[in-house]
Amino acid sequence: MIFLTVGTQFPFDRLVRAVDDCCGALELNEEVFAQIGDSTYAPRHFEAASSLDKETFDRHVQEASAVIGHAGMGTITMALDHGKPLLAMPRLKKYGEVVNDHQVALAEEFEALGHILVAHDADELARKLTQLKSFTPKRRAASVDAVAERVRCFVQSVERNRGK
Amino acid sequence: MSEQLKVCLAASAGGHLSQLRRVASAWSGHQTCWITTTEVVRASLGENGNVYVVGECNRQHPFRVIATLVLCLRAICREKPDVVISTGAAAGCLAAVFGRLAGAKVVWLDSITNVHRLSLSGRLTRPFANLVLVQWPALARKYRGVEYVGAVV
Repeated sequence: MIFLTVGTQFPFDRLVRAVDDCCGALELNEEVFAQIGDSTYAPRHFEAASSLDKETFDRHVQEASAVIGHAGMGTITMALDHGKPLLAMPRLKKYGEVVNDHQVALAEEFEALGHILVAHDADELARKLTQLKSFTPKRRAASVDAVAERVRCFVQSVERNRGK
Repeated sequence: MSEQLKVCLAASAGGHLSQLRRVASAWSGHQTCWITTTEVVRASLGENGNVYVVGECNRQHPFRVIATLVLCLRAICREKPDVVISTGAAAGCLAAVFGRLAGAKVVWLDSITNVHRLSLSGRLTRPFANLVLVQWPALARKYRGVEYVGAVV
């Protein structure tokens, strides 16, 4: 099963339709389940829910062989945390899918680092779907501790200097 | 042993808040309060000091910006934090700027979603911040006084 998730804040019909068309054209011969938020396009080739509670959402991610989603940080993090191959389509401002185009640079940077695959439009999505199955996402070595330590040092310096 | 500090943690619900919470060890042992944007996340923050929900706002809704502005100002005046730490976006920017004007030290951790340029709220907050951290090495090279030590996601 491939899990399609588009987030809940804005509709993302372009992605839902692109995946639906791939299913219709048999470019994607695996079952798809989708969380489509406020998208108004009704997919013809797979089952979709508007939103899922966290438990159901996590179960679908775990059961999925791969994830297709928008290029939101939440989706990218979720896929990496579960070690799932992700094919992400950045939302674009010109289609009213998001308030700015930050997802484009973010997606491209993560693709360059080998963490995800990126499709900018329906054609690229169809092409990259064939790569998705064999794609092994590179694990991300985040450095939370280094950042937390830097902030902690700063807070300590404020503590030391207080009252001086 | 010095007294606890009051640390104000400000972030929009969602990605900004989840990135901020990842560095929670930075303020352990200190008193905290939170400024965030939706009621939904209130319960998950409740045990860690007062939570102020100031509403979502962005450039498209000028009236909501005013409401958020007033609520942020009120929260800062009431809490009188020693330190404000924020990941953004608009509400975090307001909390950081008001915090600095009220005498707090300000830490700005720019969201990882900004790859080639500091976020708008980061650029606005930067003159008021005592420490600005970014999560991409190239960004730190682009702005004077901005540091990269790693990424939280």
